Amino acid sequence: MSAVLNRRSLLAGGGAAVAGLATGVAQARILPRDMVPLVGPGHRPIDKDEQGMWQQMERVEAEIADSNLLIKDSALNSYLRDLIGKVGGPATKDMRIYLARIPEFNAMMFPTGFSVVFSGLLLRMRNEAQLAGVIAHESAHFLRRHQIRQWRDMRKKTDLLAIGTMLAGMAGGAAGVYVGDYARLAQLGAILSILRYSRTLEAEADAMSVKLLADAGYSPNAMSQTWQQLIGEMDASAAYRRKNRDRSYSLFATHPSPEARMADLRVSASEVTVPGRAYDDYRARYLQAIGSIRPMMIDDQVKLNDPGASQYIVETLAQDGWNGLLRFAEAEIWRLRNRAGDDARAAAGYSAAVRYPDAPADAWRWHGIMLQKSGNRAEAKAAYQRYLTIAPNAPDAPFIRQQLQFL
Amino acid sequence: MRRLLVTVGMAVALSACVQTKQYADVEFAPPQGDYQLLVMRPDVTVGSVTTGGMVEPRADWTDTARANIIAALKAQQANRGGKTFILESRDGLASRGVTGEQVAELERLHYAVGSSIALHRYAGANLPTKRGKGLDWTLGEDAVALGRKTGFDYALFLHAEDSFASTGRVALQVLGVAGCVVGFCAPTIGGGGQFAYASLVDLRTGQVVWFNVLQTGTQIAGINMGDIRKPEGAATMVERLLDRMKPGKNVRRAQQAQSR
Repeated sequence: MSAVLNRRSLLAGGGAAVAGLATGVAQARILPRDMVPLVGPGHRPIDKDEQGMWQQMERVEAEIADSNLLIKDSALNSYLRDLIGKVGGPATKDMRIYLARIPEFNAMMFPTGFSVVFSGLLLRMRNEAQLAGVIAHESAHFLRRHQIRQWRDMRKKTDLLAIGTMLAGMAGGAAGVYVGDYARLAQLGAILSILRYSRTLEAEADAMSVKLLADAGYSPNAMSQTWQQLIGEMDASAAYRRKNRDRSYSLFATHPSPEARMADLRVSASEVTVPGRAYDDYRARYLQAIGSIRPMMIDDQVKLNDPGASQYIVETLAQDGWNGLLRFAEAEIWRLRNRAGDDARAAAGYSAAVRYPDAPADAWRWHGIMLQKSGNRAEAKAAYQRYLTIAPNAPDAPFIRQQLQFL
Repeated sequence: MRRLLVTVGMAVALSACVQTKQYADVEFAPPQGDYQLLVMRPDVTVGSVTTGGMVEPRADWTDTARANIIAALKAQQANRGGKTFILESRDGLASRGVTGEQVAELERLHYAVGSSIALHRYAGANLPTKRGKGLDWTLGEDAVALGRKTGFDYALFLHAEDSFASTGRVALQVLGVAGCVVGFCAPTIGGGGQFAYASLVDLRTGQVVWFNVLQTGTQIAGINMGDIRKPEGAATMVERLLDRMKPGKNVRRAQQAQSR
């Protein structure tokens, strides 16, 4: 701390600067009706900065488009294309969507109008309305030109900071005063202000997503339900690890806090709801669309070694009814968690799973193993035989056949 | 005042520089005579440095620079006797039986290998197993298969970045230098400069036989050490990057022994 700038003046100045720049701890809610699209169909960049951004993104898209992380299922991909077509506003025809096999809750929109959705998102969504809500949020980033607005905001603020620092330095130099501490404070202010703008844009996308959802006939409450699930999952994950959920200091966050988003989404949803109009969540259609990859997505999640979150996800999905796949996943979580008593829990879980007609082959396999371990040979044999009937070409089929000889 | 100017002058002299650092396989002999060179899609980006110091990509400059570099490269290779084929898009070898996907795969593989070279040869994380071995990296069978199918002897991977201080950045620099008069001196705010690398792969063995990194830049915004948006600037970059290929250690030793 320099002699010129004492702690009190730094705190006072800092407090004022931060209050002035980042009063966004509790930002006012952005209204869905204000969220008009800023691009029409066939938008092309005209300004130099946007052209440069688009050119770089063309290369990025080419890389993503043939990444080996993409899930190639053509029916599912055309389903997702239809979905972005429903909630993409005026730019529906310009948007592309890619599905990547990454077991995380995430989706993103790139400046040129292509979106990447992670398989972890599809796993967590209980119905089409929820997924459409997240996709609508991403569409809103494009429709409201968020990437280029964010870039321009950042450019403006770093420019001002550079000029201001230089001028202040010169003034200080001329007056013989050290202004380095104020310069650092201004730097912090600029960073906070840039982050605040990022949160504002996220709030814009949330507000617009609710509007796009309702316009397309989806239940506009789906988005706040999604955030409720996300909060529950983060809490469950932290609780298992005996930790508190990481609540990063909101001034430094790029997104508003999940709680704030959920609350705003709920109010916005009631605002756009037209009384008397019927909204649907299209659950059956959604389950049919993701049916082919759901076992894989659950398996990816279970193997993340995050039993708190995995169990929360399974239980959330099971609110719409248990089935063989979810029971099997639950048993797998317990088996891999391996706490005291988990083996018995897992055994009970496998035996519950195989009672459902849609139980996966592996449920029969593990059911057999658990029975064999507990000495229940006749039943184990029956379970193994059932496994071989369902999956005669399983990689371990010869091994299981050999086991059968000893039962 | 005089002392101040001397300091500024020294800072200017020290901060403007062109640097290259090349490594070669110990048995590497620079290609000469009748050889076929495949240049993989050149990766060129040109941007403008904003007043605040961020680099903003510029599509028009990038397109011009890319065309200039390709032209300069063709001319430079013709001087050495080689026939050059520039891969403009990933499907450019489809007629020779190499799919766009295979080209992209090889580029990704090279990106990984090149990153490893950057880390273990340039960033200082030297590996004891590679000591004294010059450049000891390979793209393996995929590169050999590409060479066999297409008949090329070498593949060249090229990456070039260039950036130029915007008017605002230059004005800020002027302020920084002017401030020295009142005792607040910021003569080296920086802004603009080139970074490029070239990597030569022998398609008969798959080995990365030669690698070079070029860095030019000044810490004074507004001074350029080359401008690849202009044909002569692109020619300078290609010359700096590719024209002074040194043979590998063993080849050099053999040449010295012969001359003695």
